[in-house]
Amino acid sequence: MNKFQISNGKTINKPFNKIWVVLAILVVLTIIFWQFITYDSSMIDLSQLFVIVKQMFTPKNTNLTHRTWADYFAFMLELRYPLWITIQMSIGGTIIGSLFAVPFAIFAARNIFKNKYINAPFRFVMNLIRTIPIILLAIIAMAMVGAGVLPGIIAFTIFSFGIMSKMLYEVIETVDMNPFEALESTGANKLQAFSYSIVPQIFLPFVSYLLYIFELNIRASAVLGFVGINGIGEVISVNRLYNYDRVGAAVIVLFILIFALQLINSRIRGKLQ
Amino acid sequence: MIKFIDVKKTYPNGVEALKGVNLEIKDGEFVAIIGLSGAGKSTLLRIINKMIDVTSGQIYIDDINVSSIKGKELRMLRRSVGMIFQSFNLVKKMSVFNNVLSGRVAYHSTFKTILGLFPKQEKILALDSLDAMGILDKAFIRADQLSGGQQQRVALARALTQEPKVILADEPVASLDPITTIQVMDDFAKINKNFGITIVANMHHVDLALKYATRIIGVKDGLVVFDGKSNEINDQILVDIYGRTLKHDELLGDTNE
Amino acid sequence: MKNSEKTLSKKPKKWIVNLVFGIALILALFFSFQGSTINLLRWSTFGYAIKAMLKGFTEINLEFLFGYGSRQFVEGIVYMAIQTLAIAFIGTFIGAILALSFSFLASERIVGKRISKIGITLITIIRVFPEVILALMLVKAVGLNPLTCVIAIGIHSIGMLGKMFSESIDNMDIGPIEALNAVGANTWQKIRFGIIPQVIPELTSTALYRFDINIRSASVLGVLGTSAGGFGALLLLASADPNNQWDTIASLLIVIVVLVLIVDNISAYLRKKLV
Repeated sequence: MNKFQISNGKTINKPFNKIWVVLAILVVLTIIFWQFITYDSSMIDLSQLFVIVKQMFTPKNTNLTHRTWADYFAFMLELRYPLWITIQMSIGGTIIGSLFAVPFAIFAARNIFKNKYINAPFRFVMNLIRTIPIILLAIIAMAMVGAGVLPGIIAFTIFSFGIMSKMLYEVIETVDMNPFEALESTGANKLQAFSYSIVPQIFLPFVSYLLYIFELNIRASAVLGFVGINGIGEVISVNRLYNYDRVGAAVIVLFILIFALQLINSRIRGKLQ
Repeated sequence: MIKFIDVKKTYPNGVEALKGVNLEIKDGEFVAIIGLSGAGKSTLLRIINKMIDVTSGQIYIDDINVSSIKGKELRMLRRSVGMIFQSFNLVKKMSVFNNVLSGRVAYHSTFKTILGLFPKQEKILALDSLDAMGILDKAFIRADQLSGGQQQRVALARALTQEPKVILADEPVASLDPITTIQVMDDFAKINKNFGITIVANMHHVDLALKYATRIIGVKDGLVVFDGKSNEINDQILVDIYGRTLKHDELLGDTNE
Repeated sequence: MKNSEKTLSKKPKKWIVNLVFGIALILALFFSFQGSTINLLRWSTFGYAIKAMLKGFTEINLEFLFGYGSRQFVEGIVYMAIQTLAIAFIGTFIGAILALSFSFLASERIVGKRISKIGITLITIIRVFPEVILALMLVKAVGLNPLTCVIAIGIHSIGMLGKMFSESIDNMDIGPIEALNAVGANTWQKIRFGIIPQVIPELTSTALYRFDINIRSASVLGVLGTSAGGFGALLLLASADPNNQWDTIASLLIVIVVLVLIVDNISAYLRKKLV
């Protein structure tokens, strides 16, 4: 608290600035959490970073293995097979998961079904599913159906469902309700009113979300490969100890794909405005 | 003293906003600029503190040629010119006190101002200004929690804290309701009389302009078509300035209804 | 009558677009299933698997979970959960602070059109890399430990937050900036008194949302290795032989769900208070 006295004698109190409290909490939390970050500082060698980057983006040339740039690019070309598998899984998972998400999002939207006993359970299920990281989904899927492509599709489906349902109901809740009420008043039931008044409003955002989730799934496939799901991720996982150049090639391929997806998504979002 | 010498302004899209303005505004005057929207009022006002650049001609504040200075010199000049906007232009989520204090930033080094190290004297000055506007008790409240009239007074307090010689006002009351409008215009009059600060204001409401200003400048199509005392205005002159008789919303009307 | 018929025939044939879209969708789905073998035998073991999972839930080893008795605390799941929280927190925190500077470079309002294009491109390139890849690249340099995860999440957050921060800055009200111009402020003062106070609530909210997402990423990064921190050891254990690790999977499921739900709710509560 700061006391000020101004020219004509009046006094006024300056209240304590809350921002210092927030900063203090942040600092304390950081110090506490830092205790859990274990590392061996003697092993830190930043120059290794450059070594790795070089190894990733040039053909492998050691005492035992001599590869040329031709090999490097040939490998990249070969990557189109695992890449295609990854894309297939992502498309399948994204589409199926998002389609399932649509009815859930409708039931969870407070402006369509105004009954909170309907909204709440749907929201609860959606939130629950959203909390499970995709890798756990993949492990559970693998336990049920074995390794390969199918668990990947299942994992992507459930993952996409979780994200799409939340994004969808949030967008539905911000939509203009006037046409919907007008249609209901003409005797249309909720589904009809929905298709004619709300769907046109959410169509473009829906497509944008589809692309976004597709991109997320492609990224996730990099991780899923580590636990045994086929695709580009598997390529990276298998090669990560001894064949950095192959990892690099896979990274480049992934990079191009994700970059392209981001560009397309920006274009679509630009059309939204 | 503000001097316009044959000031012309043409915008890049070809619009000739000012076609040769000659003016002399003496210290301590309360000047109201009236005219149609698009006649050049806003341009004329913003040329004074170089928020807009002249195409040709000169503009002087005391002995300083405004169009020729830039960088640090320009900022030091702007210190002594306060500006009030129609939409208040306060930082909504910041406290009233900080908004007013930000009027002093040009008086100190970047380093000190970034850390918020204003001398205690200036903090008192800021509070004094708020008190002069009658809203000292609102000092540490977020700016967006005040009413429109109160926010404009915060803006006035910010201008006062600059210790300016001139205050420019761009349609300062156009967003306010009739009662608050009178209150804020009274504040302007108070500042003009008690502190001797020159006021140059664009006014949308003609009767307000006539009531508060000592001098009226009528602008039409980028030229000054009237320059004289408020009691010299008659209906014919207004038709000349506006090209027609006044519309209903250009008069504030009787607030005692 | 004739005029209406003419107008009707000129009506854009939207149903064609819809049909094409629908066919494309179905084709895409069809292609996506080509590579997988839907082994009917496996589906029949589905029921068995569900039963095994439920049994696994009931067999959860509490000592393992909390890390006492025959197990040390550092091996307990609770420790791992806190470690995951720590990784996400510090990664997001550092990422957010650095993202702020990057966002200035990417914002038209602050540095102008040309430099902002460079800034945006830089941020986009950082964004493209999945965190796993970043972590992988850092392993030789920093070691297979939680620090690597922190750095990977931090760098990725710079990419994600940098873009959203710069968008917030470009969308805010420029009125106060105009006023600061008129007062004689220089660029730094305009940032400090005009931009930052306006934009901080939005940025903090965005950063909290990012923290939400980063918790999930932090849980995942563990797959790189047992000493990578977080749930790494358990994830690898579970993925090596999923069928017999139902108790591990069950514990993981419960702990992660609880952790994420708690963080989600706290973050949602804080974000409501910010607006």
